[in-house]
Amino acid sequence: MTPHPTVLILPVALPLLLGAISLLFQSMGPDRRVALQRTLAGLGLFANLAVAGFLLFWVLQSGPQAFQLGLWPAPFGITVYLDTLTALMLVMVGLLSLLIYPFALATIDPERAQLGFFPMMLFLLMGANGAFITGDLFNLYVFYEVLLMASFVLLTLGGTPSQINGGIRYVVLNLMGSMMLLLGAGITYGTLGTLNMAHIAVRMVEAPYTVQALIAGLLLVAFGAKAAAFPAFFWLPSSYHTPHPVVTALFSGVLTKVGVYSLFRVFPLFFPTLLATWQPLLLTVAGLTMVVGVLGAFAQPTIRRLLSFHIISQIGYMLMGLGVALSPSAYGVGFGLALAILFLIHNQLVKTALLLGGGAVELEMGTGKLSELGGLVHSRPLQATLFLVAAFALAGFPPTSGFIGKLGLLEVTFAAGQWPIAAVSVFVSLLTTMSMIRLWQSIFWGKPRLAPPPEVRAPGRTLWTTTPSAILVAISLAIGVAAQPMLALVQTAASQAIDRAGYVRTVNPALTEQERSLPLGIQSQPSERAGG
Amino acid sequence: MTALMLALLVGLLFACGTYLVLQRGQIKLVLGLGLFTHAINLALFGTGRLTRGAPPLVDGESVKAAGSAAALFARYADPLPQALILTAIVISFGMTAFIVMLIFRRDALTGSDLLPGELAAVVNTADPFAEFTLRMQLPEAADDYDLLQYELDELYDHPEREVENARE
Repeated sequence: MTPHPTVLILPVALPLLLGAISLLFQSMGPDRRVALQRTLAGLGLFANLAVAGFLLFWVLQSGPQAFQLGLWPAPFGITVYLDTLTALMLVMVGLLSLLIYPFALATIDPERAQLGFFPMMLFLLMGANGAFITGDLFNLYVFYEVLLMASFVLLTLGGTPSQINGGIRYVVLNLMGSMMLLLGAGITYGTLGTLNMAHIAVRMVEAPYTVQALIAGLLLVAFGAKAAAFPAFFWLPSSYHTPHPVVTALFSGVLTKVGVYSLFRVFPLFFPTLLATWQPLLLTVAGLTMVVGVLGAFAQPTIRRLLSFHIISQIGYMLMGLGVALSPSAYGVGFGLALAILFLIHNQLVKTALLLGGGAVELEMGTGKLSELGGLVHSRPLQATLFLVAAFALAGFPPTSGFIGKLGLLEVTFAAGQWPIAAVSVFVSLLTTMSMIRLWQSIFWGKPRLAPPPEVRAPGRTLWTTTPSAILVAISLAIGVAAQPMLALVQTAASQAIDRAGYVRTVNPALTEQERSLPLGIQSQPSERAGG
Repeated sequence: MTALMLALLVGLLFACGTYLVLQRGQIKLVLGLGLFTHAINLALFGTGRLTRGAPPLVDGESVKAAGSAAALFARYADPLPQALILTAIVISFGMTAFIVMLIFRRDALTGSDLLPGELAAVVNTADPFAEFTLRMQLPEAADDYDLLQYELDELYDHPEREVENARE
């Protein structure tokens, strides 16, 4: 049975609908409002994961799918495009937000819940899903703004001075990134005459190098700033430690990863030649991101500040994968991208597990300062074990998903002859291990330095906060032990992501033929554009 | 010529926006971001070819009359950039409102819980490290050094005001 392609817009429509409905309850009494919003958010997150899982199943069965909104043929309407990479990201973000939900139920304070935490979670999900599934550059910008607006609210919800302060930095720097994206989209339209991603893919290869470089540079800056790559990463460490821990965990799994996804989507599709010629640039950015992130982490005094810097450091590995995305290797072209995708998924799992574990400690002990914590292994053995496994997964120890990702990435960089970045990445792994051991030691090892706060938590609460990390760590271990199915999956995703002809064919086969009859491109009409 | 003027204007707006964003004041930041938005909207406007007095509609007759596609585009105005600009304006309006609220909120918060007397003393000494010494001595409540940094920056901009407060 083939479903109607309209289901492709469900990942956007479902959270939007439920989020809008839950905002309607805002006028009710506080208790009823929160109860209703909570229920709707739970239903929405569950349904969203079900839809994402179904889409992944569908795309694995019958290949990439596209749907034209309003049934306008491809370059004129807005296209929604689904391939394995998109479906994987939808499933990952759906899974993470569903797992964060019980943690939020157990820990979010009534004030934040009343101010609309749960509807905002749905809107964040809508923005992320939209950015994954859209096939139109301007539409991508719009979904980024939806995502950002929801994240602004989540970040500043509660309104403590440090939140407001971090919020201003976050908002301003992300706004600049969005403006670069908008400018990139505008220049794409001005030079190539189209905003449809399949159509851009057709025309971009024929454009002169200057146009390609300009658009690629703007998009790289825009998505790099969203992904917190060097040198535009400052917004992340100055804001991520300020909101409620649940929000930090949600952001680490969703926000920066959307930026990385966009790079993975746009670069192989639009600029296959630039991926080779700009390889030194991409690898330099990747190396600097890794080193700056991990060195910054050493100087941090609290759990979440330290983990925020590790987010940046790990983004460097994904950029390294992008740098060698199309390099030839023993496993064929595109293996680099496949491993970058695997690493992205691994990082989403492990980083969220760490931030949930660290956040639980911070909430239960009332402080996240490493100098005040210690000896928690005696009272919380399960949390300590989960945190340790996740920490080693982040550092890349076997048998976790981090080992598979890092080993594969090293193999591809060696095959591509990029020794310096391989050396840097190994060195950064070592530093990551040291930093994570130091973190674990200061939280869990030694003598208890701080008595737990007098109010004893209900036993149900620990269960609700620990189970999500346990599931995430279990998935990471499962990927590490039985890597083959996952590797096959990401290889399919990568081969579809680099298949430019396939993308265009899925969206609209007529796009390539139109090129011959309609002289819209820049080369054909240079005089037309200059005229007044 | 029009295109050149437009390009120069966009460049000028970008330059002024960059200058304003790099300044210390919060209102300058908001104004700088506003100029950036205008610059990008104008750049978007320019991407649709600058035509004057041409309709944004194409029908079968005009295609026949024009003869070739190239001739058709000369007598046709592109409506799409204006739709894009409209979207961008709405989004940037929302964002600006949000930033203004954040800044307002920060002013309301910082006005109450810092120590103007001590800070004013720091600004008035000749010791360049006085600021760091003060930070070391600050109690736990002022842990967020970002906030402190902002407050000190404001003081450097208007030291006389805080001295007045301290005297009172």
